[in-house]
Parts: sequence; C-alpha cells; structure tokens
Amino acid sequence: MVPVLMLALCFKVDAQVVGNLGDVQVDEREFYTMTKQMGQFIHRFNYEEDQYGKRLNPGDKDYRNAAKRKDALALLFDFENPRTSGALRNYFIDDLTKNNNQFFEFLGGNWYSEISAKFKWNGQMVDISMIMALEEDGLGSKWVITNVFFSEFQKYFPQGELTEREKHFLHPMSHELDFMNIYKVFNNPQTVEYYASTDYHPDYLTLFFYEIKQGNLKFDHVESVKFHVFQIKNWYFEVSWFNRSGYNSGWLISNLVYLKENEKEALIKIYQPNK
Amino acid sequence: MKKVLFAIAFAFFALTGYQAFAQEPELSPERKQAIDSLALEKVRDLSKYVKLIGSKNTPWSEANRVIDRAEELFAPDAEIGVSSLSKTKIEYYKVRKYLERLMRLNYDRVEIDWYKIQYVSDLQRQPDGTYVGVITIFQTFKGYDAEGRLVYQDTTKKDITVYVKRKETQIGGRLIGFWDVLLGDMRVKETTHK
Repeated sequence: MVPVLMLALCFKVDAQVVGNLGDVQVDEREFYTMTKQMGQFIHRFNYEEDQYGKRLNPGDKDYRNAAKRKDALALLFDFENPRTSGALRNYFIDDLTKNNNQFFEFLGGNWYSEISAKFKWNGQMVDISMIMALEEDGLGSKWVITNVFFSEFQKYFPQGELTEREKHFLHPMSHELDFMNIYKVFNNPQTVEYYASTDYHPDYLTLFFYEIKQGNLKFDHVESVKFHVFQIKNWYFEVSWFNRSGYNSGWLISNLVYLKENEKEALIKIYQPNK
Repeated sequence: MKKVLFAIAFAFFALTGYQAFAQEPELSPERKQAIDSLALEKVRDLSKYVKLIGSKNTPWSEANRVIDRAEELFAPDAEIGVSSLSKTKIEYYKVRKYLERLMRLNYDRVEIDWYKIQYVSDLQRQPDGTYVGVITIFQTFKGYDAEGRLVYQDTTKKDITVYVKRKETQIGGRLIGFWDVLLGDMRVKETTHK
C-alpha cells in the first residue's frame, strides 16, 4: 500500500498538460492520478500511458512494458475495498504481467457497461439496470443494449419447483386429438411458460421494449454506471467510478473474481443472451 | 504562437488531406495527435468564452456576442448534462441556455479558473465513419457576495464530446480535404475537490 501511494505521489503532472488551458496555481496531482476516463483506465491497464501521463504507442520503448505495467496496475484498484486490495489483487497482477500477453482491448468484446437507471412504471418509480455492449457496425462501432434486469419482469418468470414444472406438459400424442387439451396451458397464467421448450429463456429485453412502446415504462434518469470485464483469461473484474479526494479516485477496479473460462460462459449469457 | 501552430496544422491537413484521406483510413498516432490539438484549440476557445460570459465585468451585450461565438463551437443538437454532489440526477440544458444561466448567476463577483490538467481520449469511429472522442478538463468556480465573501464554490469535471469529420472544400477549382472539429454533448460533474 505505501509504495503504491508513494508512486502516486511521485507522479509528475507535466505530460498531461502540454498546451494546457489552465490558470489555477494549485496542486493538481489528485486530478492527475484520477483515472478520468474509461479509455484512460484501459491505457493504464495495458501500460500504454507512462507514469508521467505520456501516451505510449506501438514502437515506443516502454509500450506495454511488463515491469512498469505491474506498478501501474496496482494503482487501478479501489484501495478502500478489502476485496480488491488483498492477495487476490497480487495474483491478478502477477497473472497479467508474467507472460504480459493479455491486454484490455476497447473493441475486444466481452466487456459490458451496466447503467443503473430509474424509470416510471405505471406511475411508480422503479430501478432497472441496462446492460450495454460495444458492437461494430458500418464504419465504426456503437453501444447497444443487450439485456435488462428489472425485478418486476423476473417475478413473472419464477424458476418454480421442479416437481411442479414436471406436472405441466402436453403429452406426445396430443396432435391426434387436434390438441383438444391445449386449454390446460392457459388455465393458470402463472405456469404458462412451463409448456415452452426446456431451452426456453424469457427475453427480458423484448419485454422492456414492449413496455416502453405501450407507454407503461418511461425513462427518468441514470443513477450510476459501471463496467464488467470478462476479457482477461480466468478473471472477471468490475470497474466503478469513485468521486473522492486523494490519490485513488476515478475509474477503479471495485470487484475482482477468479473465474474459470467455462464458468464465464453462463455469466456472459446473462449479460448478452443472444451472443 | 498557438495561432501559428494551429494555422500550420490546418494547412498541413488541407494540403495532404485529400489524397491521403480519400478512403478515411485509420488514424496514425501522429495524425491523431495533430487532430487532438485542433480539438483542444476548440476547448481552449470554449474555456475563454466561459470566463468572459461568467465575468461580471463583461458588458451584457458583449456577453451575448460571446455566447453566439461559444454556441458556434458546438454541434446544433449538443446538450450540457449537469449534476452535483447533492443532486446526482443529470439536468439537461441546451448550450445557449446553459451559457445564459452562467451569465445571469446572482453573485456580485465570480472567479472561473481552469486546471492545467486535461485528458484527451482516443478517437473512435462511429457507424457513419465520423470520429468521436472525449476531452476531460477541470474547472473551479467561486461566487462572492457584495461584501466580498465567498458564498459558493465548486470544482467540476467537464467531459466534452469532440466530433472529427473529414470534409472537402473547393479552392481554386481543386478539391481540398480537411478535418472539421465540432464539440458535442458536455457532461459536467461536481468533484469532491475544493
């Protein structure tokens, strides 16, 4: 912790202020050390920005330098969170810098933004999280909505007891009776989805769009934004915004989990069901 | 000196632009850096205008003229999204409305200063090929009453969208390419720094 802080304090401000517009004559190190944009987080994460704030390009001597990257990575964690400041953090940094061949790529996929927002649903204020992903399109890229989490939608599709689910089916010879038993599907709205395929998963995004189009759901405002990153082999991390004083602020790693690649797939499906 | 550099940068793009960028290839780091300086020039102009508009020493008619100039830096549909530590919900303003509010602030004297620190993002292309980036700057604001007492102060982080588009113009019968830089939405967020 102390060396990390010392490193932060040693940062020079010069490189980020070339041709500056500023006239404030005060200590600006807090703003220098702040990870001001997610793009800067990515550059610091990959060591594509040196300790003086100078952008490094392929061909520059220190571009993605493993030893320097190790120091820079340590500064990208929320120091006040035990989950991101202990031994797990050190394993993660070692893993990244040992072969130094894993980097966070802006258009590399498998990273998502989560927008926590307030909506009015039938006149009541509710919380809805929208999951966003970068998608290449035309000559460039854009953020698209890949899923939503809204507790009211989830309530419609409870997992249900297996024994109860197993009671609900149309026997395989129903067709010979012109499906005269089909009415049973609609007897109880609570169990209607049990008659869908075993592979069926409710599409919350379509429900969301439907409710918006019906005028039942109206956007109010964004509460917060964070990012979920699955790009690094066997790791997941979350990046959140820390608006606070000191030398540990801006976009920082707020959660870190060791996660095997095969376990990631199911999680990614939650963020992007149609992937 | 800055104006000279700007003119040289512009001329460089104008002369080399048409052939080199007919296909709008990916930007090299050097070219990106040159475009960054064009974008920063716009942000610098904006910061000067904001100081003038906010200053109580600027006559009303002059401040209105400066608002016109500042508005020209932005794309027509640009908005300013403002939040504070106490009110995290973003309030949206059209550029003109935001600047007029700044002009009408009810303080006897205001001080608006800009920090030297700034951060310029990479330029990414959106689907129509236009490059888009974000420049982050920091500003302090101090408002004083008639007795000279400091009654309000804040430090805000301003994230300004920058659109960079390849355009062509005809000069002397020749098509000349150049990079057009326009400011877009600006997010204004109060920081804890005092």
